[in-house]
Amino acid sequence: MSLIEVKNLSKSFDGEDVVKGITFELTPGKCVALLGPNGAGKTTTLRMLAGFSKPTNGTITFDEQSLSSDIRNYIGYLPQFPVFHNWMSGKEFLIYVGQLSHLSKSEADSRADELLDRVGLTDAKKQRIGKYSGGMKQRLGIAQAMMNRPKLIMLDEPVSALDPIGRREVLNLMREIKKDATILFSTHILNDAEEISDELLLLHHGELVEQGSLDELGNLYDSGKIILAFQDNIPADMEEKLNKLSHITDIEFKKQSIEFISSDVIASRAEILQLAVQNDWPLTKFEIAKTTLEDLFMKVVNQ
Amino acid sequence: MQWAVIFKKEMVEYARNVKWIWVPMVFLLFGIMDQITTYYLPKILESVGGMPEGAELNIPIPDPPAALYMSISEFNMLGVMVIALISMGLIAGELKSGVYELVLSKPVKYSNYITAKWAGLSLLVLSSVFLGYLGGWYYVNILYGELAFSTFIVSFLIYTMYILFFITISVFVNTLVKNPGLVLFLSIALLIAITIITRIFGHILSWSPGHLSSYVNEYLHTGTMTGDMWATMATTLAIIVLLLFTAVTILKNKEL
Repeated sequence: MSLIEVKNLSKSFDGEDVVKGITFELTPGKCVALLGPNGAGKTTTLRMLAGFSKPTNGTITFDEQSLSSDIRNYIGYLPQFPVFHNWMSGKEFLIYVGQLSHLSKSEADSRADELLDRVGLTDAKKQRIGKYSGGMKQRLGIAQAMMNRPKLIMLDEPVSALDPIGRREVLNLMREIKKDATILFSTHILNDAEEISDELLLLHHGELVEQGSLDELGNLYDSGKIILAFQDNIPADMEEKLNKLSHITDIEFKKQSIEFISSDVIASRAEILQLAVQNDWPLTKFEIAKTTLEDLFMKVVNQ
Repeated sequence: MQWAVIFKKEMVEYARNVKWIWVPMVFLLFGIMDQITTYYLPKILESVGGMPEGAELNIPIPDPPAALYMSISEFNMLGVMVIALISMGLIAGELKSGVYELVLSKPVKYSNYITAKWAGLSLLVLSSVFLGYLGGWYYVNILYGELAFSTFIVSFLIYTMYILFFITISVFVNTLVKNPGLVLFLSIALLIAITIITRIFGHILSWSPGHLSSYVNEYLHTGTMTGDMWATMATTLAIIVLLLFTAVTILKNKEL
């Protein structure tokens, strides 16, 4: 069963298609990364899900929507650059948005304390938000998105603007939240997506080019890439020798290494290692490369 | 409940950014300055001198109703500017800065959002106008002669409709454009346009809100409410409700 179903969602601004008919489902309890280069339509997609932007076409269906027509009851949203009422203290702001989400004053109060503790802002809860650092604001932003115990938390580039420490804090926090809610977060940073997401939605030029779990996508694009690295320069007769082998294509020479694609990795491994021994190649590395997210990303984006 | 939360937040915000201090002070100043300067000007000129020998100052001293109406004239000129200034960012400011992304991603009803903000602003402005007008009335009684408190109150109530009308225009414009400076300009431009149109077509548009301040003047002098006054107040109220309703619809369907 899916938490949310997005069908053929598209959006155009002034005749320019920003999101072009994307379809996906989110499974409850998963952490899903919406990955794509800048300008791929990630923010627009999230804003449509949050209700700020009306889809030009397509539908968004929440499974619990029958309970109430306002999907904002089930979502928490953190924009890319959250702006708070800077004159409020962190706790005041949480209570304010909690009450806006129909919590009573006392419920909002205790929930705010609980979340402030969870995001590590207990010491700063009485400080004016205007004095918070970027990382603190981001954590407060995550706390405010969780005030109404949403089923779905959407985070727009939650870590992109943070320093390594802030980034680490927020990623750990997201790992925590995963236990309570489904997370959909956008990012253009591959490491972040790789690190905490269960599933990926790869968006490019407004189209959903790939989706699935990291493993699935890895297999799909398993390239059979082999990398050879040499101690000094590459032996002169290498090209000739490699060309004689079957299964091997796309040979690419780099300064001290060669990369190529093999259609039968096992057979190629035996042949090449044999050649290496016979010819006394100064090998420093023999690697059957696993497709990284970066390869996948580049492959998809360059298609 | 949700309405009250937003209303209360507006009140706290006006307290924290000391609007609850300076707005009443400014209106108090507008309310009393004409009565005081008009009364004391001849005496000041006399004592400062510089008048040609034998010249006689003959500044007519206005009667109490006219003296009180001087406060309204100041509110209409300077007060309106101040109102436009404090209301220009009411919603447009939140849309522009991006605070709305956090607030409106919560299940906030747009009607609550707009009307609570409208009510908060109205309370601040009307309290301030009342204080200034009360100050004006106080000096009228001391310097120009007695004017009944009931007359003062009823004239204030008529003027309240005019102030609410202008606040509503500004709230409405707030939902149209995101730029607070543009909101300021458009609100004042709209009010001026309505005033001019009312002046030109006054004979047809006898119920236009543009008449309200001249009705205040009329009431101060005659002490009677005419049918046109009631009708104009009713029309104004209807326009206010309609504008608020339209503002909610606009914001709801706006591409934020």
